[in-house]
Amino acid sequence: MNQAENKNIWSKMKEKLHKYSFWGCFLLAGIVFFTWTDNWQMYTEPLQEAYTEGVQLADSLTEGKWLQLPEGQSDGTGSGYAPGEMMTAEDTGISGMTQTSSEDTVQSSAAGEEAGMSGAAADAQTPDPAAPDASEETPQEVVYHTVDDSYFDDAVFIGDSRTVGMYEYGGLEETSTFYASTGLTIYKMFDSAIVSVPGQKKKITVEEALSEKQFARIYLMIGINEMGTGTVESFMKAYSEAVQHLRELQPDAVIYLQAIMKVTTERSEQGDYINNEGIEARNAEIAKLADDQKIFFLDVNPEICDETGGMVASYTYDGVHLKAQYIPIWLDYLKAHAVE
Amino acid sequence: MISLIFSSIEFLLWFLPVFLIAYGITPCKYRNLTLLAGSMIFYAMGDAGNLPLLMLSILCNYFVGIHLTKRSPKTLWRKRLLLLLALGINLGVLLWFKDWSGAEVLPLGISFYTFQILSYLIDVYRGEVSREYSFPKFATYVIMFPKLISGPITRYGEVADSLTDRSFTVQGLEDGMKLFILGLAAKVLLADRVGILWHEVQVTGFESISTPLAWLAAIAYSMKIYFDFWGYSLMAMGLGRMLGIELPANFRRPYMARSVRDFYRRWHMTLGQWFCRYVYIPLGGSRCGEFRTIFNLLVVWMLTAFWHGASWNFFCWGGLLWICIVLERQLGRLKFVHKMKVLPHIYLWLIIPMSWMCFAITDLTQLQVYLDKMLWLVPGISGGYEDAGKALGTYGGLLIVSGLACTPAIEKLYHKWQDKLPVKVLLAVLFWYCVWKLQLEGNNPFMYFSF
Repeated sequence: MNQAENKNIWSKMKEKLHKYSFWGCFLLAGIVFFTWTDNWQMYTEPLQEAYTEGVQLADSLTEGKWLQLPEGQSDGTGSGYAPGEMMTAEDTGISGMTQTSSEDTVQSSAAGEEAGMSGAAADAQTPDPAAPDASEETPQEVVYHTVDDSYFDDAVFIGDSRTVGMYEYGGLEETSTFYASTGLTIYKMFDSAIVSVPGQKKKITVEEALSEKQFARIYLMIGINEMGTGTVESFMKAYSEAVQHLRELQPDAVIYLQAIMKVTTERSEQGDYINNEGIEARNAEIAKLADDQKIFFLDVNPEICDETGGMVASYTYDGVHLKAQYIPIWLDYLKAHAVE
Repeated sequence: MISLIFSSIEFLLWFLPVFLIAYGITPCKYRNLTLLAGSMIFYAMGDAGNLPLLMLSILCNYFVGIHLTKRSPKTLWRKRLLLLLALGINLGVLLWFKDWSGAEVLPLGISFYTFQILSYLIDVYRGEVSREYSFPKFATYVIMFPKLISGPITRYGEVADSLTDRSFTVQGLEDGMKLFILGLAAKVLLADRVGILWHEVQVTGFESISTPLAWLAAIAYSMKIYFDFWGYSLMAMGLGRMLGIELPANFRRPYMARSVRDFYRRWHMTLGQWFCRYVYIPLGGSRCGEFRTIFNLLVVWMLTAFWHGASWNFFCWGGLLWICIVLERQLGRLKFVHKMKVLPHIYLWLIIPMSWMCFAITDLTQLQVYLDKMLWLVPGISGGYEDAGKALGTYGGLLIVSGLACTPAIEKLYHKWQDKLPVKVLLAVLFWYCVWKLQLEGNNPFMYFSF
């Protein structure tokens, strides 16, 4: 009797256990997940967004705009995150954008144009972004030569996914050196382990690679991934330091600083951190780093942009990367702008 | 705008739990109201501006439905007129948004809810279901969030009972959640990742890729669109089951089909059934001779193409499939065709990726370039096949896993093991893994790419 009762209780418990086992596992896994995840606060973001949206909606309703959602949502004004790595692309993008668009854009369009057309007639002695106006000194025309592919035999191309595109479809992958990787930024450029060495499984960093081998010329195009974080100033600080470090590592090399390729106007107007105003502002500052002795500024943008000031729409699918068949435009531009 | 797609942090961690608690504490009698309110919020978060349009449409069609039942031959012509008017207006609104409004984005879910409303009206007119007097019930049928945005296109008769009486149980919640997690995993772990190959090929430009890469990318797209849509349908079914509503299945291992005809009986089944029921059969189906049948098929396929969008590439897609189906009908007369085992599969696996390219590439000149590539008419930029080798190196494993997931094997295993503890643990972990992935990459992995 007693035994039967016990058995009954036991089977009932088993039944209950079976019934709730899935949800038990589910909650347990959830607890483990939130305990081990880096930043669980991120998951509350939708709530904050909903709250901001609600407030804005309420505001617009009291102003009598029925059912018209507030336009300024993408400002991201609601989410109170401090700048840092853990922010979403959207959040970070906005902070970068608002800061660039204030003053830099105004001066950039003029400066960028001048730099682009006259081939970087910036001040020669002081490669410092905060240097006084370049027009005080007599600008010297840089004389460019046209070269063929062999010019790049002792060149190294450093950059992000755009340079990867050049590597894959430029036809130089056998002869030239590429230290390029998708998502590469100026901040982590030297420390990125992206260079594979023959006969070695582990990749070495750009720093190590550049210390081991000397190149005659260095082509650098970098800067679009950085637009999500920081300002033009913080970017340029890192950029000029990187150029100085390049100079230290490769004292004899000619350094070509390439202007960041612009995106299509459509992509630029999409409203996130990628926009042509920001790119122009950065390009104008990069141009000032050229001393026209050993450091030169090259801007391929006039070759690939239309009258709207953005990349020609048919040259690209995503608005950011040149299609493989248009990579030669870029390469030809580089070939037509060699200094020795 | 917070867009509430199922595979988003917003939905998974906030909307769904809050809704389920609210739904659970509502007395049985009023659960339709909770579902209705929740669905309205769900819709408003995606597309608040068009919620009035949806509600107006529901209200008008509710009244039309009440007046549609056949009673006597005397009033028949009046019903017929009313039905035609209602069909005209519903389709007119859909057409206007699809073609003439010039709007870039359609009102959320309009293609789906319009078709469901039409099926209700026609079924009521035919006397196959009885009209619904309760407005909340009818509105819940149209707007219930599991199937609101992308189907399955559910006929009223299929859910009528569960709108009146359904149970909300721990077992139902568990079964539904498991289905949901499978769908979520299909979307997040397979579709979104294998889709990157297709994206990369688009970035490179079709002019520059080799023929093998063109095929790889087409296969990747075929996998992406399947796991995306199948995953979504599974999630919808799972959500329905959690709430006690059994929604119809939308896919039945389509890539295991042996003809295009067979494929579209397994792919987006609810749309196929809709066209069959309300267009193909009324036109005479296959009962009025071969020529008439072929014509009827053409009508159905052109309408299906148009339903997907008013763009020429969809008509290429529909046209290609129509030609295949017509040819298959003729070949089907030969006896030996039915005995072949392997060849039909290969034929399908060649024709379907090509048809998906017609579906995916909206620019006709680009489509031409791509099809030329697939048919080996022009070589790639470098003439070699290194690009395909590279892609295979990166995505080969993923493509194999996707291919395996197309076979009945995984489904069979799941049905056998679904109540065992290891599978429960696995699914629970899978859910949180997907959440983590979503947080990392966003809903659209391409949007958050670094360059």
